[in-house]
Amino acid sequence: MTTTSAETVLRPARTRAAVGSATVRRKQGFQHGGWFVAPFLLLFALFVIWPLLRGLYLSFTDANISGDSPGFVGLDNYREALHDPLMWDSLGHSAYFTLLVVPCITVLAFLLAMLAHHIERGKWLWRLCFFLPFLLPSTVAGNLWQWLFNPGTGMVNYVFGLDTPWLTDKSYALLAAVLTTLWWTVGFSFLLYLAALQGIPAHLYEAAKLDGANAWHRMVHITLPMLRNITGLVIALQILASLQVFDQVVVMQDFGPGPENSTRTFVQYTLEQGFTTYRVGYASAMSIIFFVLIAAVALARMWLLRNREEGGR
Amino acid sequence: MGRPGLNRRQLLAGAGGLAVAGSFGFAALGTGADALASDASTRVRYWNLFSGGDGYNMIAMLDAFRKDNPDIDVKDSTLQWGSPFYTKLAMAAAGNRAPDLGVMHLGRVTGFSPGRLLDPWDLDLLAKYGVREEDFNPELWKRAVIDGTLYALPLDIHVQLCFYRKDVLKKAGLLGDDGRIVPVTSVEEWFGVLKKAKKATKKGLQTIGLWVNDQNFQWWFFVAFYTQLGGTWFNDAKTEVTFDPDKATEVLEFLRRHITDGYANPAFAGGAGAEQFVNGAPFCWEGNWSVPVFDTAKVEYGATPLPPVFGRKATHAESHSFVLPHQSGRGGAANDGAHRLAAYVVKHALQWAAGGHIPAYTPTLSTAAYQRLQPQNEYVSAMNHQATEPKVWFAGSTGILAQRVGPIVVSSTMGSAKPRVAAGRMRSTLAELLASKNPMDGRTAAQGGAAA
Repeated sequence: MTTTSAETVLRPARTRAAVGSATVRRKQGFQHGGWFVAPFLLLFALFVIWPLLRGLYLSFTDANISGDSPGFVGLDNYREALHDPLMWDSLGHSAYFTLLVVPCITVLAFLLAMLAHHIERGKWLWRLCFFLPFLLPSTVAGNLWQWLFNPGTGMVNYVFGLDTPWLTDKSYALLAAVLTTLWWTVGFSFLLYLAALQGIPAHLYEAAKLDGANAWHRMVHITLPMLRNITGLVIALQILASLQVFDQVVVMQDFGPGPENSTRTFVQYTLEQGFTTYRVGYASAMSIIFFVLIAAVALARMWLLRNREEGGR
Repeated sequence: MGRPGLNRRQLLAGAGGLAVAGSFGFAALGTGADALASDASTRVRYWNLFSGGDGYNMIAMLDAFRKDNPDIDVKDSTLQWGSPFYTKLAMAAAGNRAPDLGVMHLGRVTGFSPGRLLDPWDLDLLAKYGVREEDFNPELWKRAVIDGTLYALPLDIHVQLCFYRKDVLKKAGLLGDDGRIVPVTSVEEWFGVLKKAKKATKKGLQTIGLWVNDQNFQWWFFVAFYTQLGGTWFNDAKTEVTFDPDKATEVLEFLRRHITDGYANPAFAGGAGAEQFVNGAPFCWEGNWSVPVFDTAKVEYGATPLPPVFGRKATHAESHSFVLPHQSGRGGAANDGAHRLAAYVVKHALQWAAGGHIPAYTPTLSTAAYQRLQPQNEYVSAMNHQATEPKVWFAGSTGILAQRVGPIVVSSTMGSAKPRVAAGRMRSTLAELLASKNPMDGRTAAQGGAAA
């Protein structure tokens, strides 16, 4: 099973280290390459590493927004966060959102890609239609669907003949955000799938046809296995993005926590603690907890993938 | 296996970029040229949170001030209402880049580190520009004083009102000879009124819109009716919760009954309540800022304070007030200009009253021009029956208290929790908040959190 180039981008092939292993060449390589990556490293240090370290430091303090020098409180913030029911609630909302979005978007993106790949006429139009929503800013997508979901005047209830209070009932509010997200972001995964589909060699299908495989067999035995890596990538990217959900949900709920706190996501709660309640130290501790969680998910995926490769499948 | 070249790589890089590029809202910092207006000698930088009709009225008042005071150049910036505004104001004051004058909800002043993030008003300067304590409702003035010092200058109070459609009520026989709604003095009377009004209402419309799922409005209504019952929150020393779950249950049951008796439809919660009202629903409970909205819609309507169904008059009130964000070197001409501007706007608030707000400067209320304003003259009495949140650091418009307790009220109104259970939750949340420390100074309410 070869890796797709998308994989290569995310995870440089381990064979590359072996190439040019001569010290001289490596040194020279660094001298030239070092200058090329320096701007990136500088920005990365300034805007990622330094804030991360600063946040880590603040998470052990009772810093507020006023800029006064904060006092050290040890692990108090972490202890409080782990006993904070609102934090667990918001984490639950982010997790629920992720559990709904990831499988739906993966299946949907695959189906749409198959459709666009096999359709003969007007291919460009389908691609455009599926990808276009992804180009919208989150505020536009959120506001748009806020109108569509409006129970009295919205198109959704009108078209389906429903009387559902989409945005104002705690049973539906997060679901409405999920549906919005599907429409808004499926285009990205769709494009990944489409590119991967186009990369599957045609002779495989031809050979299968000669062997008498029907369309279903061809999909199950050729298409899906060939897309395995891209599926892994789509799922991983979607999990990471969905866990960090924030903007479209707050836009749809007018920056509130939703009916009876039903849509407050983890990122939103962190922001509220930092910038509404002015507890910068506490918000930093929550951010660090979240960072560890997300890093764990990303590492778990890498580990799973490596095992799969080493298993030869 | 084909090699999709750079395209997908670019795509992924782009995706990474998109993930990083959060949408940062930048403060609406003044964008005009930084040169002073032609013949002005002093600049006053003024931040406010007024948009829509309020924004229009404020700009009109500022223009009038500019005309009367050509030596002062007012540089005003309007920022987004709500938490972002307070965050920016706090950070500007902390970073010593504060404007000369700002606006805040009075209820949030206590929690805003008066003395640390806010500077006190100079009473002599205010008097010089014609504003004195005796020109204000004493209760309102008292809320602006913290530890004996004035930290806010009230511009108005804005209240929750019961808007009613005169055409529908007339049909239902609920209008008095004066063309106003018949007085209501008990819960049963109120539901009797709703029953009659419902019969006179067009099909497809609810009888009353009361923001059944909005944590802010439900909380404001709760404060109003709980105050009508004489309910209290904390003892004077702020060491104990005196919140009464029995009274709270009574209020929560009252709010819930609007849905269970079929007068409020949860599908038309939120802003849809006002839309329904314009389309012919007989009642809606809204803030007085809806006055210009209904005027524009040419609805024949009246507005009274929330009905005193528990016997005592009280309706929820908050107040817009002027504040002096902390500047390390406050004083001099800019500070004098800030006092002059605030005093001017407070004294010339008739324009402001057009937005439905009740001017805080009482001499305005007795002018013939104000008394001609409809429906303002019908609810001006609310000034003397204000139901307000307790004066603690976590209170105030859309503050921590509303964020924590509001959803509990909503859960009862919407029926996901029994009123009695919700009342118990409210009490324990109040206890939790009372014990919590103000992050600005690390002190609890009992230790005088946030008071300088």
